[in-house]
Amino acid sequence: MSAPGLTGLAEACREITAPGSDPELVAALVAWAVRPRRTLEGVRRALASDAGGGTPARRLRAHVLPHLDDDDAAHAAAVIARWVARGCQLSVVGDPGYPSRLAEGWPDTDGPVLLAASGQVPEDRPTVALVGSRRASSYGTGITAWLAEAAGEAGAHVISGGAVGIDAAAHRAAVHTSGGTSVVLACGHDVDYPRSHARPGGLFDGIRRAGGAVVSEQLPAVPPRAGVVRARNRIVAALADVVVVVEGGARSGALLTATAALERDRVLLAVPGDVRASGSVAPNRLLGEGAHPCTGPGDLLEHLDRLAHRAHLAGTGGVAASGTAAEVDRADPLSALPAPLHAALRAAWPRAVPVDVLLERVELDAGAALAALTRAQVAGEVAEGPEGVVLCRRPAAPQRLIS
Amino acid sequence: MGRPLAIVRGVALLGLTAREVRVEAASSPGLPLLRLVGLPDAAVREAGDRVRTAITRHGLRWPGERIVVNLAPADLPKAGSAFDLPLAVAILAATGQVPIAAAAACWACGELGLDGSVRPVAGQLPLVAGARQLGAERLLLPAAAASEAALVEGLELLPVADIGEVVELLGGRCAPRVVEPLPRQAGVTGPDLAEVRGQPVARRAVELAAAGGHHLLLSGPPGCGKSMLAARLPGLLPQLTTDEALEVAALHSLAGLRSPEQPLDLRPPLRSPHQVVSAAALVGGGSGVPRPGEVSLAHRGVLTLDELLEVPRAVLDALRQPLEQGEVVLTRSRARVSYPAKVLLVAATNPCPCGYLGDPRRACSCRPDRIERYRARLSGPLLDRLDLQVSLRPLDPDALVGAASGEASSVVATRVADARQRAAARWGGGTLNRDADPQGLRHATDRRALARLAGALHGVGGSARAFDRTLRVARTIADLGDDEVVRTVHVEEAVAYRLPATRGAA
Ligand SMILES: [Zn+2]
Repeated sequence: MSAPGLTGLAEACREITAPGSDPELVAALVAWAVRPRRTLEGVRRALASDAGGGTPARRLRAHVLPHLDDDDAAHAAAVIARWVARGCQLSVVGDPGYPSRLAEGWPDTDGPVLLAASGQVPEDRPTVALVGSRRASSYGTGITAWLAEAAGEAGAHVISGGAVGIDAAAHRAAVHTSGGTSVVLACGHDVDYPRSHARPGGLFDGIRRAGGAVVSEQLPAVPPRAGVVRARNRIVAALADVVVVVEGGARSGALLTATAALERDRVLLAVPGDVRASGSVAPNRLLGEGAHPCTGPGDLLEHLDRLAHRAHLAGTGGVAASGTAAEVDRADPLSALPAPLHAALRAAWPRAVPVDVLLERVELDAGAALAALTRAQVAGEVAEGPEGVVLCRRPAAPQRLIS
Repeated sequence: MGRPLAIVRGVALLGLTAREVRVEAASSPGLPLLRLVGLPDAAVREAGDRVRTAITRHGLRWPGERIVVNLAPADLPKAGSAFDLPLAVAILAATGQVPIAAAAACWACGELGLDGSVRPVAGQLPLVAGARQLGAERLLLPAAAASEAALVEGLELLPVADIGEVVELLGGRCAPRVVEPLPRQAGVTGPDLAEVRGQPVARRAVELAAAGGHHLLLSGPPGCGKSMLAARLPGLLPQLTTDEALEVAALHSLAGLRSPEQPLDLRPPLRSPHQVVSAAALVGGGSGVPRPGEVSLAHRGVLTLDELLEVPRAVLDALRQPLEQGEVVLTRSRARVSYPAKVLLVAATNPCPCGYLGDPRRACSCRPDRIERYRARLSGPLLDRLDLQVSLRPLDPDALVGAASGEASSVVATRVADARQRAAARWGGGTLNRDADPQGLRHATDRRALARLAGALHGVGGSARAFDRTLRVARTIADLGDDEVVRTVHVEEAVAYRLPATRGAA
């Protein structure tokens, strides 16, 4: 190393360096990143315009090391301590611990130089990104849960952001499936955002416990600014084989994710939306521009299966199910709801039913019906939002979206 | 020389609390001047001029000597024109125009017109009731207020229409008028709950609110029937007793909202101030002796607040103490008064700033951060008092045609009365479940139900603070079902009366 301070830093980095990456290089890259007016993205651009050869790690080392001094090392130590405290591991682009999908074509593609992760994004299975807005309708979250659960149970991995709305619906539905789920943060690991997901025992903890990864390219203390969110979306798209845009407004991040998906040559699907709803603008526009329509898990699984088939020929894993909705049916769960209530919710699924409408349909006493709905909500069978009550999981009997 | 002291008694009000005021007049040789002593406010000082004009214009004699009138005790603030009549009687007695003994046996309250007529004042009813409480037996009062005063039992009324009649009556030259007490107005004459079609959850919540006295929050887009439901709530409450109705009428009288000819209303009041109401108008205030505000005018009835989130924070904060203690305490430099304020609050709010969140017919145009901030305003101590929270959907005209008409108010009111009786027998002293002691609540709750409540609140993201509030509602649900023990199913229903939007905050 060119500066003695960096040697100590490399020692500190040993703990947070992913297997297959060099702690010295990680230390040097962190030291580079913490200085003002220098970014790792700038390094990537410089390398992209320079026709040099060798592994990414070697090229990075050659570019970065000569310009570092002890001052940089001092700044980096505090940052590294935060990653240590959060149990993160850092991998360098192109190294074995770094997601290979994200490293494809680097430095001409814009994968981050360093990726901080707790847990590892699985490489061995087809991966789908489900994206959409924070302000999701019950239609949007219902469809998302339907798709995510079906994909996860078919063995595909689900990727999404960590926000409320569509992101959260995707993770919740897939976290306990065999495919699992990983989240890409729009902030550093040391920022608890959104708080409800980041708190101990929250969604992110659940994802880690279930074997999924929580990843971020940002320094630990970076807050979720708009620019950071946009950058995050390119990672979501890059980590997936198939990207499904469920909901999003006219200027939503979902459109940026779609653009990133096309740049990376990913398969792009969009869920047709209610033309009156502002959240349908993005998916409907994408459909007009050539995205594949996603009208249910069948469409999604078909694309995943096709990719898996290709991957199988190349020697990696595949999708367990062949992909029609009927084939991912599960047994009817024991319901906490009286039969007429359950039937009414099943008929409406995945749409939410306002409680008043529900009660009028079932002709139950209001008090008794409300008590039953509470019971079902506590049991995780139904969820309630501004638009009413909806079954959390796709009901056993096949239901068509358009009746 | 000079004559003996003439004394007449009047009443000063501090809020609804009456205090005796002795009006003493003495004449002595000197310039014909009137001096008032004993901390009179501007209106009482003007009374001197009014009394003088009334007496002279009525053909009575204004003394050609010096008159000193003392209003005692001096430390008591005396506001308003109700001292005109005792003042005039004291002067007439001091100048020998009415017998001093007859004046001394009387209490008097009323305003004098310049033509000598005797007229009711704002707060006439509480003045009369106060005089009775202070031990008055005979009361000189405006004839126009006599029927109203006759509702107060145990008083010999001496109604007078003008100052001349005072002289005749106290001089024994005519008999007191015969007074018929005001009729009492009762029965459900407000809008009926049967006219509300559909809305089963809100109907149930309104019934629970009436039975347990629980404050109610209705959330829904414009035109979903929030005010329609609120207007039907008073009709579900038990009719007031005469004493309660007199208390309510006294408060309205103090606010100048009641004319003495109005029948005594036994129906619980409904007050619906506009959301731009000031804190003073809502809880009471004004210069001098503060007047009752909307929360006291709705005493023993229903107070509605539309667009709760548009009401300034300071105004909402002012509402907290009355809701917690059932009375308003107002402190001014000259007086500290309290007014009763046992109300059932029905607050209404939109689901989001534009109002259309969750509306199937129209998309909401609010930014998510604005919705979050809007909902965050729903948190806090006031929300903790809103035991019942219900989301309403926009009324669908098609659905309304098909929907069965609901139960009539009278049917629901019978159940409400039964449930209230059960609660009153349990807590004693007319205490509602809303104000029930948490320990007592837990005592009569099934242990499994308590465990279920803790679990259910956790399951829907509620906090421990919501525990007692939910248990109170569960108690009312059990009472409506004639169950002495609060069971799991009651608790489960109670948990449902919480807005999804406020679960995190509450
Ligand atoms: Zn809105």
